[in-house]
Amino acid sequence: MDLNSTPRLAPGCRLHPTESVLLVPEGTLNLSGPTREILTKLDGTQSVTSIVTDLLREFEGADEVQVKADVLDLLNRLEQRGVIRA
Amino acid sequence: MGAVGSPLSLIAELTHRCPLHCLYCSNPIEMQRAESELTTEEWKRVFEQAAQMGVLHLHLTGGEPLARRDLPELIRAGREAGLYVNMITSGVGLTEERLATLVEAGLEHLQLSFQDLEEASANHIAGTRAHAIKLALVPVLKRFHLAFTINLVVHRMNLDRLEEFIALAEDLKPDRLEIAHVQYYGWALKNRSLLMPTEEQVQRSLPIVEAAKARLKGKIHLEAVFPDYFGSFPKACVGGWGRQMMLIDPAGQALPCHSAAVIPGLSFDNVREHDLQWIWKSSSAFQRFRGDEWMSETCRSCPRKERDFGGCRCQAFMMTGDPDAIDPVCSLSPHHGLLQELRVSVPDVLPIWRG
Repeated sequence: MDLNSTPRLAPGCRLHPTESVLLVPEGTLNLSGPTREILTKLDGTQSVTSIVTDLLREFEGADEVQVKADVLDLLNRLEQRGVIRA
Repeated sequence: MGAVGSPLSLIAELTHRCPLHCLYCSNPIEMQRAESELTTEEWKRVFEQAAQMGVLHLHLTGGEPLARRDLPELIRAGREAGLYVNMITSGVGLTEERLATLVEAGLEHLQLSFQDLEEASANHIAGTRAHAIKLALVPVLKRFHLAFTINLVVHRMNLDRLEEFIALAEDLKPDRLEIAHVQYYGWALKNRSLLMPTEEQVQRSLPIVEAAKARLKGKIHLEAVFPDYFGSFPKACVGGWGRQMMLIDPAGQALPCHSAAVIPGLSFDNVREHDLQWIWKSSSAFQRFRGDEWMSETCRSCPRKERDFGGCRCQAFMMTGDPDAIDPVCSLSPHHGLLQELRVSVPDVLPIWRG
């Protein structure tokens, strides 16, 4: 996963319609902070760079370098867990 | 006892009919007949009530769920109620056309069971010729947008081929792989001495699973179920009695676990007479082992009770005759020595296939 990747949720993984929970096969992942907002942007076409640009617009005053690092870290962890695909 | 939370998952045993006769099947010995099965409308009502209670996952299982002709309707009803829909299947009878209707209805995750790497052995364990059908189904499954898990239940008869089986699974590319040691309930308990692996087999299998977990990370999510007859601490059976899950059998009985019916004196309420919320809160069977009041002093004063909730009640009863006893898997149980005696592999006893 890098800034040019266009991640999407893996098959059989979806956001709960109202709760901050990702439904996955045989379980749930509780989503903290802005994770839910980030995951709603994953559509398999939007790049990580473009997702970060969106987030910076939504969370005014956030540090761009930090947001990039945090988003990549989150997406990499979820990819390792098998719930998103680059 | 504190307030009762909501269950997270509902296991719907749609039918006990099955084309397979697996030696390790966890279905009860007294299986429900087709005539007593819940109707489509009754299941729909159950799914709606489950979603209203906060249940997230619906697991359609059996027997073989494909034996129900109304399966697409049931999947659709689960999704419309707001549940995540998973199906556990042998794959026998699943054509591409039929799968398309199930996915279209909203199926999100499919678990396909395998019995072994080698065809002759796999068919022997399943009591029917199913292995080739399963293998042929995998490329079909991969064409659909749904999560796909391969399950392998391991025991003495197939454990020596675990490494090769994992290699096969790697080629088949599921999203998830479950390697589960047999749990001795139902038909598996009847075949215990036949299925029981040797200590040496178990010890050899553990690093194989750990290495595969690390190697497959990010590609295939591997989950393993430990053989608890070889452990020193009990498992948190079903996440704790009456804490996380409800099982509805084909005739509508609500059970706290797959094998709760073995425990004498429990009476199970039926979804035909009561709604799920009432059963969860008030059914005597669900309350029987909630909290810690039923526990022995050893368990009640043990910090691990927050993790294992007192282990497995069915196992405690089946091994000691007392359902309140300490789970014998626990090293603190006075009956822990029994496990040593039961860890006996008797390869030449006759197998008993489920009906």
